[in-house]
Amino acid sequence: MPDIVISLDRITKRFAGHTAVQALSLSVPAGAVFGLLGPNGAGKSTTIRMIMHILEPDEGTVTLFGGPGTGRELSARIGFLPEERGLYPRMEVLEQLIFLGEAKGLRRKDARTRALRWLDRLGLPDWGKRKVQELSKGMQQKVQFIGTLLHDPDLVILDEPFSGLDPVNLQVMKDVVVEIARSGRTVLFSTHIMEQAERMCDRIAIIARGEKVVDGRIADIKAEGGTRHVYLSFAHDGAKAGPVLADRSLVARADDSGATAEVELAVGANPDRLLRALVDSGVGLSRFEVDEPSLQSIFIAKVGQQAAIAPAREAAHA
Amino acid sequence: MRKLFAVIRREFMVRVHTRAFVISTVLGPTLMAFLFVFPMLLESRDRAPKRVVVLDAASGEFGARVTDALAGARRGVGPDAAPRYVVTRLAAGAGNVAPLDSLVSLTGAKDAGPEALVGVVLVADSVIETGRLHYYGSNVGSLSEMGELQRTVRQAVIGERLARAGVDPAVLMVATAPVSLETARVSNGQVSGETGESSFILAYVMSFLLYMALLLYGTQVMGSVVEEKSNRIMEVLVSSLTPFELMLGKVVGVGSVALLQLGIWSGAAKLLTSQRVAIAGLFGAAPSDAVGMPIPAISGSLLVVYLTFFVLGFFLYSAAYAAVAATVSTQQEAQQAAMPVTLCIVAGLLLMFGLLDEPNGTLARTMSLIPLFAPFVTPVRHSLSPLPLAELLASAGMTALGVVVVAWVAGRIYRVGILMYGKRATIPEIFRWIRTG
Repeated sequence: MPDIVISLDRITKRFAGHTAVQALSLSVPAGAVFGLLGPNGAGKSTTIRMIMHILEPDEGTVTLFGGPGTGRELSARIGFLPEERGLYPRMEVLEQLIFLGEAKGLRRKDARTRALRWLDRLGLPDWGKRKVQELSKGMQQKVQFIGTLLHDPDLVILDEPFSGLDPVNLQVMKDVVVEIARSGRTVLFSTHIMEQAERMCDRIAIIARGEKVVDGRIADIKAEGGTRHVYLSFAHDGAKAGPVLADRSLVARADDSGATAEVELAVGANPDRLLRALVDSGVGLSRFEVDEPSLQSIFIAKVGQQAAIAPAREAAHA
Repeated sequence: MRKLFAVIRREFMVRVHTRAFVISTVLGPTLMAFLFVFPMLLESRDRAPKRVVVLDAASGEFGARVTDALAGARRGVGPDAAPRYVVTRLAAGAGNVAPLDSLVSLTGAKDAGPEALVGVVLVADSVIETGRLHYYGSNVGSLSEMGELQRTVRQAVIGERLARAGVDPAVLMVATAPVSLETARVSNGQVSGETGESSFILAYVMSFLLYMALLLYGTQVMGSVVEEKSNRIMEVLVSSLTPFELMLGKVVGVGSVALLQLGIWSGAAKLLTSQRVAIAGLFGAAPSDAVGMPIPAISGSLLVVYLTFFVLGFFLYSAAYAAVAATVSTQQEAQQAAMPVTLCIVAGLLLMFGLLDEPNGTLARTMSLIPLFAPFVTPVRHSLSPLPLAELLASAGMTALGVVVVAWVAGRIYRVGILMYGKRATIPEIFRWIRTG
């Protein structure tokens, strides 16, 4: 397999009135779990649709598996779960899965065997003969997930795969994704849940307003932030920490969640001074840890900047 | 190819496996049998001769002549045909005060018992000059009975006119003997043995079947596209299938269902018509009643022509319906947006009726070359009087070209439209899709 599975070279997509994706370049190496992060409306789904050749980029090129062929032509090697989930409601689950497998080029018999195995594995062995509309939302998601993976694709592209799942189903799906990655195949998924991406991805790209803000290995991105972040948990009197966290000579930015907080130290401040100030304030601490920034705070920092810059630029163009 | 077949198979199985399909497939022949048996039963009930009075105010033999003509009228042909009327002749004048009023009071009266009349024929000398004969009856609403009555009395009036002009009664007998027209159809220089009436029925039935198939199944293609759009399954599909595979698969899959159902219906109709004497017996009707409807015979060449144009027409219109569906998001919007397509189908059927009188006129020839109408017009023309091969090929060729053009335009609209959600596309937008597709 080539080293780079997905390569986007300055792709741009405009819709009437606005630019959804602007000169975006990305490389997804083989075997990676790649997270495409961004706020709602950032252009994640549009990017994925261009990778799948559902939309054609106005400018730039998409290269898959290092060679020629569009997403549709190579669909036998790609599993795709779109953001808009959908199944034929009045079709039986097994028939539906066989059809999805056939659409990927599987033989009918083969598709059937695989579908039965997957249904068994995801805890739906008795549901094959039921109609899709009789299934709960979570079950339908699983069925669609099976449809995505039925043909054993080398590349799996999941658009918001974990949204709307309960914790049990979420765990099941997460396990499957991890297993795919372990077997050396490539996974690209989009999400706006940072904890999820932080736990699962080797690499991420953050996009906002159609433009790439940052990309690379998650470890590198976090190291770049340095060890200027302090994680706090409060045992009691958490409210008393308020004035300390608002002190701009000590704290550059604070993400205060009430019982916990993530703090970025101000330039010139050091952890000792912060600890002393907190102890003096009378707050009860159960955790005080100096570490790299979380993906969440990187995301807020980067996207926040971007969001502030972009309107100004739009105004200049107007 | 395997993918295309998967789409065709899905569209076919999903439809054939529904209760609606099974019910309509069974209901069709049941309805046919009903339409078949019901008139026979009515006919049997009406077989009793109708009581009619001839009120004779004329001089000479005129009244008797009318009375004889009515008494001689038979229902159907052959030696065992039943008489139509039981006729009583009453002379107007002395002893009969205001006879017409009293007779009219007996006409159609339910409480009059065996005295009840169906009608009164008023015979007067003035009829000879004016040619206007009066009939008072409870059955004047029946066009066929009035037509029959008119034929019968006309014969008598002509006879009386000739007699008064001094024509020899023997000559008169010969001159007024009834004439019936026995038609036989000739195709390609060979007598086919069908009557003109049966070709007409065949043409009518064929066009109507195409019309029904387009409205019922063409709109199913539309519904299927809208369903995929509203269920959001489209995105999964277009990531592995080309829009053209999707559209073609749908049209062929739904079209196969249409052919299957129409095949079953035609088979049932054929069985019913061939067994109609037995069926008539089953319901206690006389075998002679069952012969009322002519059996259309389909020749091999006509079947080929019909099926060819049926398939072409189906492709043309269902591709158009698929394109319409791609521009909308809900079934309601689809119904509205499909109006132009539906109007073309209705126009095709109406045009076909317009051409029945002159199947080889300029208008008919022109319509055969317009792809939108040829599927309705050409098979009907061919069934009325066989067309030369060159003309058939030209018509089929133009229609096939039309199919390619419509499929190309529909494919482009489809490709962009199927991923548009939320709003209905405007006409300028659709043109942009076709240009840039």
